[in-house]
Formats: sequence, C-alpha cells, structure tokens
Amino acid sequence: MTVLSPTRQQAVAPEPEPRHRRPSPAPYLLLVPTIAILLLALGYPLAWQFWTSAQKFGLAQQFGRPPQFVGMANYVQLFTDPQTWAVVGRSIAFCLVNAAITVVLGVLIALLMNAVGTLPRLTLQVAMLLAWAMPVIASMTVWIWLFDWHRGVINWLLTAAGLDFTNHNWLEQPLSFYFVATVIVVWMSVPFVAFSVYAGLTQISEEVMEAAALDGASPRQRFFAIVLPMIRPVLMIVALLQVIWDLRVFAQIKMLQDAGAPTASTDLLGTYIYRLGVGASDFGMASALSIFVLVLTVALSFFYVLHLMKEDA
Amino acid sequence: MTRTHRRRIRPGRLVASVIAILVALAWVFPVYWMLNSSLLPNTVLTSTTPRFWPWGGSLDNFAAVFAEGTFWPALGMSLAITLTTVAFCLLFAFLAALAISRFRFRGRASFVLAVLFIQMLPAEGLFIAQYKLMSSLNLLNSVVGVSILYIAAVVPFTIWMLRGFVAGVPMELEEAAMVDGLSRTQAFFRITFPLLAPGLVASGVYAFLQAWNEFTVALVILQKEEYRTLPLWLRGFVQASASRATDWGQVMAASTLVAVPVIIFFLIVQGRLTSGLVAGAVKG
Amino acid sequence: MKKMLSVVALATASALALGGCASGTTSSPSASAAQNITLWLAGGDTPDTLRDYLKTTYNAKTGGTLTIEEQSWGDLVTKLTTALPDANNTPDVVEVGNTQSPTFTNVGAFSDISDMYSELGGDKLLPSFVEVGKVDGKNYTLPYYFGSRYMFYRKDIWKAAGVEVPTTLDAFNAAVKTITEKNPKKIKDFSGFFLGGQDWRNGISWIFANGGDLATVDNGTWTSTLSSENSVKGLTQLQELYQSASHAPKTMTDQSVYLYLNDSDVLTGSDNSKTKTSLAAATVMAPGWAHWSIGDLAKKDGKEVREWNDATFGVFALPGNDGKPAPVFAGGSNIGISAASKNQAGARELLKIIFSPEYQQMLGKNGLGPANSDYTSSLGDDQFAKALIESASNSRLTPAAPGWATVEASGKLEEFFQKVAEGGDVATLAKQYDDILTPMLNGK
Repeated sequence: MTVLSPTRQQAVAPEPEPRHRRPSPAPYLLLVPTIAILLLALGYPLAWQFWTSAQKFGLAQQFGRPPQFVGMANYVQLFTDPQTWAVVGRSIAFCLVNAAITVVLGVLIALLMNAVGTLPRLTLQVAMLLAWAMPVIASMTVWIWLFDWHRGVINWLLTAAGLDFTNHNWLEQPLSFYFVATVIVVWMSVPFVAFSVYAGLTQISEEVMEAAALDGASPRQRFFAIVLPMIRPVLMIVALLQVIWDLRVFAQIKMLQDAGAPTASTDLLGTYIYRLGVGASDFGMASALSIFVLVLTVALSFFYVLHLMKEDA
Repeated sequence: MTRTHRRRIRPGRLVASVIAILVALAWVFPVYWMLNSSLLPNTVLTSTTPRFWPWGGSLDNFAAVFAEGTFWPALGMSLAITLTTVAFCLLFAFLAALAISRFRFRGRASFVLAVLFIQMLPAEGLFIAQYKLMSSLNLLNSVVGVSILYIAAVVPFTIWMLRGFVAGVPMELEEAAMVDGLSRTQAFFRITFPLLAPGLVASGVYAFLQAWNEFTVALVILQKEEYRTLPLWLRGFVQASASRATDWGQVMAASTLVAVPVIIFFLIVQGRLTSGLVAGAVKG
Repeated sequence: MKKMLSVVALATASALALGGCASGTTSSPSASAAQNITLWLAGGDTPDTLRDYLKTTYNAKTGGTLTIEEQSWGDLVTKLTTALPDANNTPDVVEVGNTQSPTFTNVGAFSDISDMYSELGGDKLLPSFVEVGKVDGKNYTLPYYFGSRYMFYRKDIWKAAGVEVPTTLDAFNAAVKTITEKNPKKIKDFSGFFLGGQDWRNGISWIFANGGDLATVDNGTWTSTLSSENSVKGLTQLQELYQSASHAPKTMTDQSVYLYLNDSDVLTGSDNSKTKTSLAAATVMAPGWAHWSIGDLAKKDGKEVREWNDATFGVFALPGNDGKPAPVFAGGSNIGISAASKNQAGARELLKIIFSPEYQQMLGKNGLGPANSDYTSSLGDDQFAKALIESASNSRLTPAAPGWATVEASGKLEEFFQKVAEGGDVATLAKQYDDILTPMLNGK
C-alpha cells in the first residue's frame, strides 16, 4: 500500500481544488467508526493469518501444542507444488471468463430494459430481483437438481428436444463442470450488473440520443459514442467487483463438488484453501495460500485500481 | 432523472419485448422451480419425469417445516443481525464517504486503497482467528459478535458506493439553505439527506443480502442451536441426517421461506432501488 | 490485539485453575455439585425420545441440566476444530464419526476415560470402535452406535434374469454382471449393481473381502497398502464390477442410491415404448434406514409415500468367500469427553447413563446398533435387523491413524476410486495413491 502514498497519488493525478484548505480534524473524526470496526473485526484475524502462514500449524497446534516457526517454508512448499499453479491457472481463467460473460450479459439486459415498454421492463426487472433474492444455499440446491444426471430437468428437456441426454452426467468432466458452474455464477451475478448499468442508462438524456439519431448515427455508433462513455464509470466498478468476487468463488464450487464431481481437477482457489484448512487441518498452508490470493487479486486489479483512483481524485 | 415516455413505435420494439419476456422467463425459472417443488410431495420430486405444474400439490411441506418450530427463532436471529448490520454499516459508511468526498486530507488515498483491498481477502482461511477473537471478547453466540464481523465485511463496498452519492450533492446547496436561516443539521436533513436516499437504499440492499445469506462466519460464531440464523437453519434441512433421507419438498419449502423476507424487503425499497443503484458511481 | 488476547487467555487460564481447585472436579468426581453440561450429537440420528431420556435421567441423577445441541455431519469438523480447545465454550460430551475419532484423540482433544472402561461395558463394547478411540493403550472415546451397510435388491429383476441370492462374493459378482447383461426390463443404462464411482465407503468391502487392507501400522508408523497383493486383487474385482455391472455415474458417492431401486413414473424408451418405471438398478448397497425410502408408491393419509413390499424387494448381507459375511465398512460413531471441559464429573455421569442397559436397549429398538454386544438382540428380529446384525458381525473400520480424517477430507479416496472405476490400471494407481496417502495417514 506504500506504493500509492498520497504524494505519489498527487503525482499521478492533479489534486483538485480542496474544499477545506487548512488541515482539519473533521475527516479523521468521520473515519473513526469505520477504522475502529475494521481494526476490531479484521486486525487480529489478519495478523493471525500472516503469523500462521509462517508457522507449522495443524490441528495439534490448535489444541495447544506450541507451533513451530518455519519462515517461508509454507510458501516454498506451496509454490513448488504443481497442483497450486494448476488451481491458480484455472481460477484466473474461470474468474475472467465469468466476469466477462456477466458484464456483457448484464449490459445487454440493461439495454433491453431501456429499449422496451413498461410492462416487459417490469417483468424483466421482477425476474432479475427474484433471482437476486434467492439465498445461495437455496439456489444451489435447485440448480444441482436441474442438472441432476438422472432426474434433472435440463437432461429431460434436451432429450425431449431430440438430443439424447438421458443420464448425462454434467459434473463428470472438469470442462462440463465449469460450464455448469459458470451458468450458475452468471445467473446469480447478472442482476446486480444489469440494475447498476440500467441506473446509469436512465441518466443519459433522451435529447442527446435523438439528436444523434437525427444526425444519422447508427444504433451501433450511438452505443459506442454516447452510451458507453456515459456508463463507463459504472462498468469499471462492477467489472472490478466481479473480478474480485469470481476469483474467490467458494460456495457454488463447493456445493457442486459435494454433488459429485472429481474434486482435485475442479478445485478453485476458494475450495483449495478450504481443503488445506478445514480438510487437511494444515492451517499454516491455508493461511499462506490466503495471503497469496490477496496478493494475486491486488496484482490482477492493480492497473484497474490505479485508473479508478485517478478518476476518483 | 425520471424516464420520459416514448411514443414512437420502433420496428424492433416488438422483437425486443419478446426477447425481454423470454430472458425474464429463463431467469425466473429456478425461482419458479423452487416454488413448484415446495408444493409437491417428495415421491414426485424423486421421479425422473419432471412435473412442471404444482397441480395436486399441497402446503404439506410448509406445514411440516413450521411444525419443527425452529423457523421463527431463526428468522428473529437473522432479522436482528441483518438489520443491525445494515444500520451500522450505512451509518459508518456514510461518515467515511463524507470524509473522502468532501475533504482532501493526508492518508486519504491510502484509506481508499485499503478499503478496496480489504475486500480481496479470501474468508475461507480466517475462521479460526475469528472464533478466537470472538471467544476472547466473550461475543460467541451473540448478535453483536456476528454483526461486528459482518459490518467489517460489508462496510468497504458500501463506502465505495456512497462516496459517489455524497460527492454528487453540492455543498453550495447546503450553504444556501444555511444562509436562509437553517442550522447545519436542519440543512443536512432537509436538503442533503433526501438526495442521498437512493444511494443509501442501494447500499442497504447490498448489505442486507450479504448479511442475510452469510454462512461460514455464522456457523463458527453461532455454535448453539437457539442462535442459528436462517442459512444455518436451511442447511439443517439439506443435511437432515445420516440416517434419514433428505425430504426435498421440505428443503424447497424452507428455501422459499428464507427467500420471502428478502423479496418483501425488495418490494418495499424497489422504487428507489432501480433509480439509486450505483447512480452514485456514475457521478463519482 | 495479540497482546490483549494473551492477557485474556491468561485470565481465563487462571480462572480455570481457580475453578478447578474450588470445585475439585478433576480429583473427586463423585463429590461434585450439580453441573450443567452440553452434549453435541452429530446429525439427526438419535431420535427425540432418546434425547428426552438422556435429559430427564441426567437431571434426576445429578440435579444438573443437560443441553443437547445437534450438529450437522458436514460442518462437524469445523466446529470441533474451533470449539473443542476453548475451555469456556467447549461442549462437554461429543459424538464424533468413528473415522474422525483418531484424528481428534491423537491431538489430545478428549479426556482419558480408561478408568471407566470396564464400568461402561469393557470387553463387551464393539472392539473395532474401541480401537479407533485409543491412543497408547488408553481409552479416549468409546462406541456410541453402529450401523452396517447391506444389500437391497429387486426380487422381480433377479428372478427375471434367472439368478439366485448369492452365498459367496464370487457368486454375487457374477450374478449382478448377468443381470446387467440380460437387462430384463430393457432399461437404458441399467445396473445390476448400482455403485457410484467415488463410493469408496462401499467399495472398500471388496478390498477387505479379499484379505486386503487400507493401511497397516508398524511401530506407530502408518503405511497405505492399496497396492498390496490382496488389495489389488479386491480392487481389480471392483473395477470389473464398475465396468460390467454398474452404470452409476463415475463421480457419484454413496448418497441417495436407494432412489434407483424404486419404480415410479412413466419412462419413454428409445423405441417410444412407455414403461412405468424410473428403475435404474437391481441392487444397491445402503445403510439399513434406506428401507424407509424403498418400496411401492402408495397413498397414505392423502400423501404419496413409499411402502416396502416383500414381493418385490429384499435384503441380504454381502457374502464373503469364506462362509462368513464379507467385511463391510462399519458406519457409526464414537463418543468422548472434551479434555477442555470444566464439567468432567457431570460428563462422566452422562457417559454412565449412555452406557446403561436401558439406554443401550433404547438405541437397539430405534434401529441403531448398540455399542454393548449384550444388547444387540434389542434390534429385533425382522429381516432388516437380521441383515444388519449379520453384516455387522464381520464389519471393519477405517484405519485408526492420526491422519485419517485428513485423508477423508482431502477427497483423495474418492479420486482414487473414480479412477479405478473409469478403468485405469489398478496396480499403477494403487501405487501412486499409496505414495500420496502414507504421509497424510501419519499426520504429516
């Protein structure tokens, strides 16, 4: 975090006219509750995680045996294990694909909301809200059911449509497993993106669009010349959030694996941390991996964040 | 900001409407499937031919779920935790958003970055430390303990969201009102606050959903049965027992019950939701 | 924060020590005042009547209150990991899965109850379960109940395929293969014996039945023995079954297999013929309680339920090749006292109630195999009880290695069995997974 100290930040983005010229204690007072709760809730767990990642810490240590300090040994073991890199690679791919599909679909649906009359728009919005409101455990149960090999609706429909999908097991092959996971994750995440972008779209003035149309701009040109720049700030933020969320996707993958899948070849970072920690009781390794994931997310989003900061200042 | 009514009839309009309805149907299907299944008996649900309509179904599954007698306490627990989280989260985030959008001060950029990066920490490895922390503070099995962890988890994103809204309300408006004889507090509540409402609603919805659906922290911190939240309660139905078959009809009925309060909450705030959601970010 | 925690920990520790001295719980159990204790039960297996019995009896005997908390199996390890070491919040008595017991006993999570062993039943207690609760000859956990798996089969299909209920394992292997080949009802992907590819809990029976073992211990060091000659022999037989008798998904575990034994609805065949069935298997291996979910569709009080029909359905214990039943995996759980508990005296009283003749018989009457062999007869003498008792008589447990819970949680066994089911070379795979499992078994 020192990389982006205030001075550096000023160098990157010219400081706008400050509203309060003299240093005032007000902003610091306003930040006190937030900083206090973050320190209270995350301070110790974060410190514990850093400290534990440098220790041999298993179940015996949790039950009181003194842990052994091993320095970087956990990290070395982690990075020399090809399995780690396989998981990292899969997670990055899964995250980028899912975030991209989610954002594109979200934008398309928002455009659709903007293009249709009140009734279809409300129908679409209610459907999105209902999907968004479903508790994760509930929606996962339903989805696993829909994709069930023997009595799933999806196989039934595909078979009824003339394709032979009787007893097709969707979770057996990793690629097919990720396809199912993507369908579910995208289904869950699109409503948020669609509503955010739609909110942005409603702020584009009708007159500008009509003037552009009169000037002979095609819908495509209008989208790229007017709409996209207007909704860019929203897109930036939702895309960043999708990347962050999809990189550490856990519940969906874990529950799909529990429904019967080859676990080792379908693990992503979230489930891998879980397997090392809760599963193998190797809390030192699990902590090391967690910290690596933090670093990885920061790295993945670094330029993006820099850009956001520039616009923010 | 309200939508102007368009009277023009575009050729593509009908096609777009049809597509919109189809997308809506596709999206709502799993929700429908949950409802449909909650009305059907388990024997029907375990057959290979799906039954698409709940004809001949009953509310038996719901009756059975309620008969357990555990729904209401869990609902109470979930509501207490979720509302506490939403209230404090909005308050803290609003103050912080005020600080970073109205003031330029030393450490501001670091704070904004820290807030962003905190969201990137994976939660799966933290549970032992969270348990130890709450145990040492004597806050296990309490609304306060879980709420503290939830607020800390949700507040960073909420700050991001509110920041844009606060920046969007010009200081000059407030100052003008004060010239007209209002006190600073009055000016704030009469002028600024109404303009912030959509942003607060959008952030509130986010905080609500996060707290309502959270599972892992609740599992570790709320160890006693009488303090279970709804996700833990629902999990109890899915994993009914090692020696009894899971009753899927009941699971679906229980899932529906967990979703209903969220839907009610959405209906209450929906008007403001669509207009307010991330509109702040646009202004940012 | 760290500092604050250690201060708190110190304070707690001294409070603990003081408390210990004052009430003298550890030194003289009988002199204790009424203690309010908590019992964690795993899953909903213990019926309500038994829970009520424990509560009232505990209260009558000690004057204290017993609180029972139910923990779901899937989250049990997470909760034990956090709560058991925490003296202020630990449950006092805990039920753990028999295969999870070694991991927790080895790290000192449970109190030594060797002195009560004879009083609680001694040699009458299920030996294999007692073994997984032992470290260095001392008893830390004892059996709570057992339940073995046996075979559920469709009499009509077996008859149509012209095969008899087998009396040896070889005959069983051949019979289910024949059924699959003949497929009397001409159902797509029909399984003579339905066995999920990842279902190692049922699959290991074939390793055991051929004299193989999952792991052996020598001087406290565990070695995974999937690649021993007998294990490979069993695994090869199993692979043959996977390839020629079962069309269950290769990623399936042992969940809900009973579904595939039922007739339920109209199914359209490839030639557009309609058969009234969703039947997918002629035989499944499942715990005894599955019989509540197997049967004909019937209306009862206006609800559709499954009703067992002796004409169509039957049960038998998987036979071995030596005249005895095959050694199948013994399901069930152990019970122990948390070492961190401040209510050792009360906890010991509760154990006495659990191992009393009354409670042991109540377990049996509810279909749970009682820990004490004197009360096995309380299970009754219907076909299910008979099959349970018969299959349990020769049942086996997973190794009592300190790292066994790690092995289970790692998902490596599921992975290995899936690869065997998919037709990989058994000897090579076994060797490969032995190398992975051996360090895990020793808790490294």
